[in-house]
Amino acid sequence: MPLVPFARRLTWTLAPFTAGCEGVQSTFSTFGVEAESTRALALIMGIGASLITIAVLLLAAHAVRAPEGQLDHRRGMRLILWLGAVFPTVVLSVLLVVSLPGMRSIASEPHDLRVRVDGEQFWWRMKYEQPGSATVETANELRIPMDRTVAIRLGSPDVIHSFWVPGLAGKVDMIPGRENELVVRATRTGVFRGQCTEFCGLSHALMAFDVIVMESKDFDEWLSAASQPATSNDSTGRRLFEEYGCDGCHIVRGHVQGTPIGPDLTHYGSRRTLGAGTVPLTAEATSRFIRNPAALKPGALMPRFGTMSEADADAIAAYLLELK
Amino acid sequence: MNALRRRVLEYTLTLWSLIVAPTAWAAHFLFSYVYAAVRCAKGGRDSAIGDVRLVVAIATVVALAIVLASAYVAWVHRRVEGDEPPFHDSTDEDRQRFLATSKLLLAGLSFIAIVFTAVPAFTFGDCR
Amino acid sequence: MAAAPHRHPDQGDPDVRAAQEARLRQVWQPPRGLFLRWTDTNNNSVGTWYTLTAFGMMLFAGVLALIVRAQLAAPENDLVSASTFNQLFTLHGSIMMFLFAVPMFEAVSILILPQLLGTRDLPFPRLSAFGYWSFLLGGVFVGGSIFFNAAPDGGWFMYPPLTTEPELSGVGADIWMLGLSFIEVSSIAAAIELIVGVLKCRPPGMRLNLMPLYAWYILVVAVMILFAFPPLIAGDVLFELERLLDWPFFDAARGGDPVLWQHLFWIFGHPEVYIIFLPSIAIFAMVVPTFSRRHLIGYPWIVLAAVGTGFLSFGLWVHHMFTTGMPNISLGFFSAASEAVAIPTAVQIFAFIATMWAGRVVWSTPMLYGAGALAVFVVGGLTGVMVAVAPFDWQAHDTYFVVAHLHYVLTGGLLLPLLGGLYYYWPLFTGKKLSDRLGRSAFWLIFVGINVTFFPMHFSGLMGMPRRVFTYSEESGLHGLNLLSTIGAFVIATGIGMIILDMCLSPRRKLAARNPWKAGTLEWLALPRQENWGVRCVPRIESRYPLWDQPGFVASVDEGRYFLPDAEEGKRELMITSVLDAEPVQVARIGGPSVKPMLAAAMLGGVFILTTFHFYGAALLSGVAALAAILWWLWTGSGIVPEKPMKHAGNGVVLPLYASGPASSGWWAMFITMFADATAFGALMFGYFYYWTIHPEFPPKAAAGTNGPGWVWPVIALALVLTGWVLTVAARELNARGRVRFAQGGLVLAAVATAAGAAAGLAGPWFSGLDPTAHVYPAIVWVIAIWIAVHGVVGVIMQLYALARSLWGRTTPTHDIDIRNITLYQHFLAVSAVVGFITIGFFPEWV
Repeated sequence: MPLVPFARRLTWTLAPFTAGCEGVQSTFSTFGVEAESTRALALIMGIGASLITIAVLLLAAHAVRAPEGQLDHRRGMRLILWLGAVFPTVVLSVLLVVSLPGMRSIASEPHDLRVRVDGEQFWWRMKYEQPGSATVETANELRIPMDRTVAIRLGSPDVIHSFWVPGLAGKVDMIPGRENELVVRATRTGVFRGQCTEFCGLSHALMAFDVIVMESKDFDEWLSAASQPATSNDSTGRRLFEEYGCDGCHIVRGHVQGTPIGPDLTHYGSRRTLGAGTVPLTAEATSRFIRNPAALKPGALMPRFGTMSEADADAIAAYLLELK
Repeated sequence: MNALRRRVLEYTLTLWSLIVAPTAWAAHFLFSYVYAAVRCAKGGRDSAIGDVRLVVAIATVVALAIVLASAYVAWVHRRVEGDEPPFHDSTDEDRQRFLATSKLLLAGLSFIAIVFTAVPAFTFGDCR
Repeated sequence: MAAAPHRHPDQGDPDVRAAQEARLRQVWQPPRGLFLRWTDTNNNSVGTWYTLTAFGMMLFAGVLALIVRAQLAAPENDLVSASTFNQLFTLHGSIMMFLFAVPMFEAVSILILPQLLGTRDLPFPRLSAFGYWSFLLGGVFVGGSIFFNAAPDGGWFMYPPLTTEPELSGVGADIWMLGLSFIEVSSIAAAIELIVGVLKCRPPGMRLNLMPLYAWYILVVAVMILFAFPPLIAGDVLFELERLLDWPFFDAARGGDPVLWQHLFWIFGHPEVYIIFLPSIAIFAMVVPTFSRRHLIGYPWIVLAAVGTGFLSFGLWVHHMFTTGMPNISLGFFSAASEAVAIPTAVQIFAFIATMWAGRVVWSTPMLYGAGALAVFVVGGLTGVMVAVAPFDWQAHDTYFVVAHLHYVLTGGLLLPLLGGLYYYWPLFTGKKLSDRLGRSAFWLIFVGINVTFFPMHFSGLMGMPRRVFTYSEESGLHGLNLLSTIGAFVIATGIGMIILDMCLSPRRKLAARNPWKAGTLEWLALPRQENWGVRCVPRIESRYPLWDQPGFVASVDEGRYFLPDAEEGKRELMITSVLDAEPVQVARIGGPSVKPMLAAAMLGGVFILTTFHFYGAALLSGVAALAAILWWLWTGSGIVPEKPMKHAGNGVVLPLYASGPASSGWWAMFITMFADATAFGALMFGYFYYWTIHPEFPPKAAAGTNGPGWVWPVIALALVLTGWVLTVAARELNARGRVRFAQGGLVLAAVATAAGAAAGLAGPWFSGLDPTAHVYPAIVWVIAIWIAVHGVVGVIMQLYALARSLWGRTTPTHDIDIRNITLYQHFLAVSAVVGFITIGFFPEWV
């Protein structure tokens, strides 16, 4: 895309002014190809809009102060023609012709990494597809390699959600009954954040996810580790996990042959947050969550385990945190 | 040419004739969008847009022709004898010339809008 | 027997004038009494109630917003629960858009349009009253829901499947759908009134090139309503059928598609924002020339802007759906149109600037609000161009950036001009000016408040804050911006509070002079103590600014030297004039106070409200009662044969008192209504073709209950409906030729044919066993068949009504408006039958 090199130069120049707007979930802190060119476009449009606003207001102020008759009907009509019709037409034509090609998405090849992300109330199901291997399922955390094209397929089994990682690319909706695709390429490593951006119910505000960009070979290592089954020595927590029926909704590959209604917990302990980006992952938070999910996430579909004792919950939490 | 002008002048401009040009835009817009959308829905995401370009081009030419005809009619009516603009006297001529001016301006806007609509058909080659 | 020669009254004689004024006062007097005063239909009363109610809705929605902002003032706040928060923002948006913005423009138009046009009332006063009562009832129903914790909570655009799933959305969704559908009916009623008012009730001489710009804008907006609201009504029908009867229009598992709702909603939603914006700018177009002391420059440019925006705004709707995954070429069309619409918008701004430049600007409180509006609106318009660019929208969509954009255009394009209009037109309604000191202080508070509230939102949005979030985290870094926005919101509230104080202090102030702003347009003929009859006589116009340009104009009007200076027969009368040149055409008698509009509104409201709570039997009864009320209203109040054919209207002009067919306002009311109805039907047909587009196989093969309706029954139904149509036309012609008995017979046969056609239309889906809960194909076929059948039944009721009118002698060969109007309805019914039955019978199998 022609805008990208210009984008990088412009962004670097304006960096001091936009520094206050940086953040792991900010469109100003770009780490993806699409977000970078959009940021440049946004800056140009923003500056243009500011200039036009100031110019129009100055003109209006001048018009108010001008003595009567300084402008007559004929010249007034010409002012309207040139400033009201011709000038906007020219500016908008340029904008149209320059911006439309920017809509073209990155092409994806058959051998590119494919990740299927499903938005569910109120968490994210990630499935990494690799040709020739089994699909690896995780939840609430997206890891992608730097400088490689990744094709993300987006869907939803329940209501409309929207997948947005501001620093990486624009958002794409996840609509029941259809599969949308977002092709991205990350340009630097780091830990970033995305959030659901289509109102999806009570905990819409609490549906976020981490995006971790890794060096390519680090990513490959991580993926192969993630495809391994769970390892843990804790047998108490694991027994309680099955006794309370957690396998009715959760899978822990290698330990528990559950039903994948809820998030996959195979490598739960390696995640940074609990509840799709709501709180940091700790044993205490996990224990509390198990006993009363709705207290942390109103409207969560996970039932309340009110009869579970604190000790049991702590034991299950300890087990889960071992699942790295 | 004179005979055509005379025929055009005999016709009285009404509110309906005022909106010929924007109606042409609306029809062109709807047609282009629906044609491309159905073509892409039936062909799939990776299909080429095929004859969409040709069809939109033809529709654009037809729509622009209607707009230009509307502009011509407006132009002829605007040049009717009378005093300087603004056309704010309570006379048949001024009412006619005012309607003609508005009709001409609408033709101009519709022309631009039709061209704007056609641009995307020539920018994208597939249904992604 | 020669009639007595008409003696033209001597308008120069003060006794003659006093007698005329006494008669006018008598005829136009409002009803008194604790209950009866609410049966008034005059635009002054209805307009006042409407304006105050809409203003009250705004305040209520504003308070909801303050609570929202209070919750968001700090991260991880727990002032309100997530559930309450979702109701708060949904209701804030829904009330502002549906119960404030659109009703307010209708209210203001009802109040000032007759005065702008030098007429005494709008052509269908009881329709205005009906619209008001519908609005009040629906508004209280929807707005009051939050006090029962039952408010809609899915956002003001209520996207399915979240809102169609009964487990995920409660009765609030039904309240939204049904309550607002009811109110949309009143908006369409207003549209009818305003179109006919602007086109046919202008004063003689007010040709199209002399019409006040407010009238041009209102005409455009009213026509837009006819095409914008019906798709939402169609969507509401599908939505409620899914919620109440489980017909899967938006359920992907059974062939439905949630995106269809988005299409239908935004085909309404985008024009809606221009429907909101244009009438407010129209007020500004009346204010600027007054305070620039000259005619507006660029009158044809403004007409271009209004008409151009009206058209182009219908080509933007998918820009609200840029992130749904549609092909880029489709998005490109809408991006292009979204940019193009900025051109006519810009034109208006420069017309106002040119006028101020050429004139001598006199500062006043209304101008201050106007200037502030301009500044705020330009910012909003430019961020609008930014989000028209799809790649930028993919970042900004559904974030606080859009919240910033929409509030800039709404406060700049609706709120500030409206408040300016309040200060400008207050003397018109009350005879007193509001306080300049309070008004200007309020302005600065509101203007600064708007910028402090909404400017930071551009940044919080681009920094990752989505819309509709009840909280945000500490780490997000959004605290400062949100706190700023909250402070700004309370500053705006303080300013609004000051304006309310100003209005409340008004009764204590002295009367102002007549035409205190020294404006040039007709509405400023009003006296500080205005009589209920409005204008003293219907004037003859020769200029866009008659009070400035026509010498002796005000005196002539005051002395009744123009048209209709009297009410000799004791009736309320309007001058009807021709569309292009406002030549006098008819004197129309219009309705006076009546309880029927209120009754009809209550009964019709009952249908919607009872259905919301699943009381279907009671709803049906309420519907029957509504029908009875409407028929009673029509029977007693329309198509009245006057006691004499012609009347002297003043200045030697003699005009008929009755008109039928396209010459009559009632015929146009039917014509306009049918355009709205046809658009709703078109939206349903769009739904059918949309489902065909997205499914490789449509109808789906070999599933139970999904095959039908065949072609036989649709063809039979079509033949019967067309027969009914032909027979109705024949009855009209026979009646006009004096063959009354044959005409009556024709109407009977026509009613039988239409009724049979309706039944046959339902027989197709019925006998082929189409199960509307099985898949969206049978559901949409059933909806189309039911739509045509219901319209057929309405057509039968009309045919029988016309028959009864004829039998009772109310319709005669020379006074046949009833039968002409129902025939017009039949034309539209025939077209919808052709389109509907051929589609469900033959498409796509035969293509």
